[in-house]
Amino acid sequence: ALFRCQKLCARTIQALQQQGSDRRERSQQTAVKMAPSGLKAVVGEKILNGVIKSVKKDGEWKVLIVDHMSMRILSSCCKMSDILAEGVTIVEDINKRREPISSLEAIYLISPVEKSVRALINDFKDAAFTYKAAHIFFTDTCPDGLFAEIGRSRVSKVVKTLKEINVAFLPYEAQVFSLDDPNSLYSFYSSKPNKDKDKIMENLAEQIATLCDTLKEYPAIRYRKGPEDNARLADEVYQRLTAHKADNPSMGEGADKARSQLLIVDRGFDPISPILHELTFQAMAYDLLDIKQDIYSYQTTGIGNSNDREVLLDEDDELWVQLRHMHIADVTKKVTELLRTFCESKRMCTDNANLKDLSQMLKKMPQYQKELSMYSTHLHLAEACMKKFKGSVDKLCEVEQDLAMGANAEGEPLKDAMKSIVPVLLNNEIGAYEKIRIILLYIFHKKKGIGEENLAKLIQHANIQADSNIITNLQNLGCNIIAGGRNAEQTLPERRERTESTYQLSRWAPIIKDVMENAIEDKLDRKQWPFISDPAPINTTQTAVSSARFGHWHKNKSPTEYRSGPRLIIFVIGGVSQSEMRSAYEVTRATDGKWEVLIGSSHILTPTSFLNDLKSLDQVPNPDS
Amino acid sequence: MKRRQRLISVEIRTQQFIQRSLLSHLYQCVLKEERQPDRGNLLDIGNLDLFSRPTMRDRLSNLQEVSNSHVEQMEYAESTVSDTFSNIDLEMELPHEAVVFEDNSPALEDVFSQSQDIHREIQLIRVEIKRLREQNSRMMGVTTMSTIKRDSNAIGADIKARAEGVLARLRDMDGEAHKLEEEYGSNCAVTRIARTQYACLSNGFRDTMFDYNEAEMSHRENCKAQIQRQMEIVGREVTGEEVEEMIEKGQWNIFNDNIMAEGKTARSALSQIEKRHQELVDLETRINGIHEIFLDIALLVEEQGPMLNTIQTNVQKTDEGIQEALVKLNRAKRHDKNNPFKKMFCSCFPCVD
Repeated sequence: ALFRCQKLCARTIQALQQQGSDRRERSQQTAVKMAPSGLKAVVGEKILNGVIKSVKKDGEWKVLIVDHMSMRILSSCCKMSDILAEGVTIVEDINKRREPISSLEAIYLISPVEKSVRALINDFKDAAFTYKAAHIFFTDTCPDGLFAEIGRSRVSKVVKTLKEINVAFLPYEAQVFSLDDPNSLYSFYSSKPNKDKDKIMENLAEQIATLCDTLKEYPAIRYRKGPEDNARLADEVYQRLTAHKADNPSMGEGADKARSQLLIVDRGFDPISPILHELTFQAMAYDLLDIKQDIYSYQTTGIGNSNDREVLLDEDDELWVQLRHMHIADVTKKVTELLRTFCESKRMCTDNANLKDLSQMLKKMPQYQKELSMYSTHLHLAEACMKKFKGSVDKLCEVEQDLAMGANAEGEPLKDAMKSIVPVLLNNEIGAYEKIRIILLYIFHKKKGIGEENLAKLIQHANIQADSNIITNLQNLGCNIIAGGRNAEQTLPERRERTESTYQLSRWAPIIKDVMENAIEDKLDRKQWPFISDPAPINTTQTAVSSARFGHWHKNKSPTEYRSGPRLIIFVIGGVSQSEMRSAYEVTRATDGKWEVLIGSSHILTPTSFLNDLKSLDQVPNPDS
Repeated sequence: MKRRQRLISVEIRTQQFIQRSLLSHLYQCVLKEERQPDRGNLLDIGNLDLFSRPTMRDRLSNLQEVSNSHVEQMEYAESTVSDTFSNIDLEMELPHEAVVFEDNSPALEDVFSQSQDIHREIQLIRVEIKRLREQNSRMMGVTTMSTIKRDSNAIGADIKARAEGVLARLRDMDGEAHKLEEEYGSNCAVTRIARTQYACLSNGFRDTMFDYNEAEMSHRENCKAQIQRQMEIVGREVTGEEVEEMIEKGQWNIFNDNIMAEGKTARSALSQIEKRHQELVDLETRINGIHEIFLDIALLVEEQGPMLNTIQTNVQKTDEGIQEALVKLNRAKRHDKNNPFKKMFCSCFPCVD
């Protein structure tokens, strides 16, 4: 009898333990879901709480009016359902003609530029006001002239709130920001002198300062020594940052915050990364497929009729967040594996689920529709990438990687680069832009540039005379193209030794990754990367302190910008490529969360858009853009 | 015989005692875990204020100053200048868009009250789902379940009725939105407001119903697990798959094998298992009942497409083509009447209006 008792005890203990661990897992999962971090969460919370919730009144709906920049900011971090839950019933564009809704009050979330302010004043110009009242929120500081205009107009009679929220950047991803200015490559590097360049630099500096303000950082500013634009921009940012700090002394407070750094670097520093064919999911999809504004459209054929589906590839899609930095070979494996676990857990048994089976299952169990459609989207995306890859890109990748690394897959240095690129250039099936990318990689491989006749011969072989100015325009960025030409002293920097194993066609790591790792380890050369102002002395004892309480007690808080560790913010003048964005995440993960690396630029590059921008560098600007 | 009976009773008592102590231990563990996050919050209450204050500059007072200094000048200027202004306005505006929008505030009120009602109903469903969860968890630990079981079924039926109501209301709202679209055009503010409200409400409703499904599914898993445990107590190890089969086929003859040999333990275990089985059967009927609704919801939300939730697509739906809208010249008429030239003419030649 006693023996049976013991057995019973053992079994019940086991069962209860199992229950306990399940419950713990579940609570952990929900905890992780409830506390997202990153730029989107920070900005989303700031706007939702500071702007929309702050003027919320129960039972009253409001109209939200945005202009182009603030619409992009809002769209990247909030959804319609979020703002609807806080009392906003409709979102309008300030520059379009709007009908008066005099029973509702309006929230104006606009940038303090003349066009928007004029439109605002127009709304309340006549006797019949367009809305009942106005709550005005500017994305950053309003210039005195425009402010006085508002004061003089009738708006001042109905304005109930007027604040400057200091968010003038786009949180593109959790660790990537954008300033939404696709013309910036032209503004900085065009062959024609640009008289607006000063104003543009001031705006850029202000936007970067609002980024630091939002994150409550007061970083030490460094720039890459070389192009004078870097130093000028760094200086402007420093001035703006100091002004913000005067208004908001809590910026940069915290034991580790003194180590935060802001690096300003130019695009010409690493011209290889934006033109290389990358094989990680996000970079590959944006390179090979036509994805505009992050919307991927495809056709579903499963249910019998084919519909066009559009999916937004952003951080709301958890699967995208998991897959976007993975190599394409791993992606298909991972998606099928996840799908199988999902099906098993929901008792939908299928072996080799393909897309047709998925659609059948969709019909039978609508409650899992959302998740199943997510898997279907990513399977489609991966398939489309692989189709394009197998077409022609696989041959190019091998040549490109060899040229970029200067050695082949076994590590032997490349002996005759010309031999490997000539068959590509003579192949008529390969597009002009692909050939240009190969030629550019060849030139960078040569380190000292190539002679003009050689360049002319290459262009002729490849038959790309129409686009040849792309190659010469790269000199505007400070790259060494023609031997003995403009940028003869420029050389690409020394690379770190990398020992981790990579796929054969993905050996290249962006140069900025080396910079990030050096900056975190405080090995970045002060002569090549000077500080604008003397940084706070780095106390080595601070790095040792990390009590268990300090690291974890805040983990279950609602998303705020509170992060105890230091940040490394990198701003690239002229555009940032997807592989560099990926490096930010990789380096952050490698530090185990002690540092957070944010990277951003005026816009995000794809190889095609980069080459298009370069093409127009020597042309007169389009007056409409 | 007596000795055997005494032994058995001792067995049962020790078993119950162990169960109780282990259960209390488990409760303590769970409570401790749930309390830990709070401890974190308590600690940083001091700093909470510092980090929750948004870094914004309030410039309302500046604006009041600026506007006050201009108030007298403005009022004086307006009275003399307004007529000439209105003339200029008239000349500039008439060519492209002397548009005055119709007053559609009653339609707006309707849309808002409708969405308010539906929102309230969805909130009530959420409350019911919470109650159901509590009922289910209570049922797991208690042996006498007849009253609790009735309540569960009642809550389930209530949720189903409410869900059907909300679905019907949503369909009405959709119809209203279509009517508004035909009447006022697809780019009118009211139409867009109606569409947005409808989209967000249907998404919220879908999420609520999926939440209900999740609650029932997890309860099902718990019942299954309990059956497995009870089977182990009886002495038969069964896998999850076998339990599923037994549930689906409704066969419970496995227990009948050893019933004579095991005595009281087995009999109590058997009664537990039978109750669980009954519970599962009820669960299945509840879910089947709601399945229809799920299909309808899925259809509802699928038609809208996932892109509707992005703000960018919502804003870009408006277009500049208001020339197509009804052209009423109220404002132009008013300005027209104030036109001093006309006033002059009117005094000379009485005009027909």
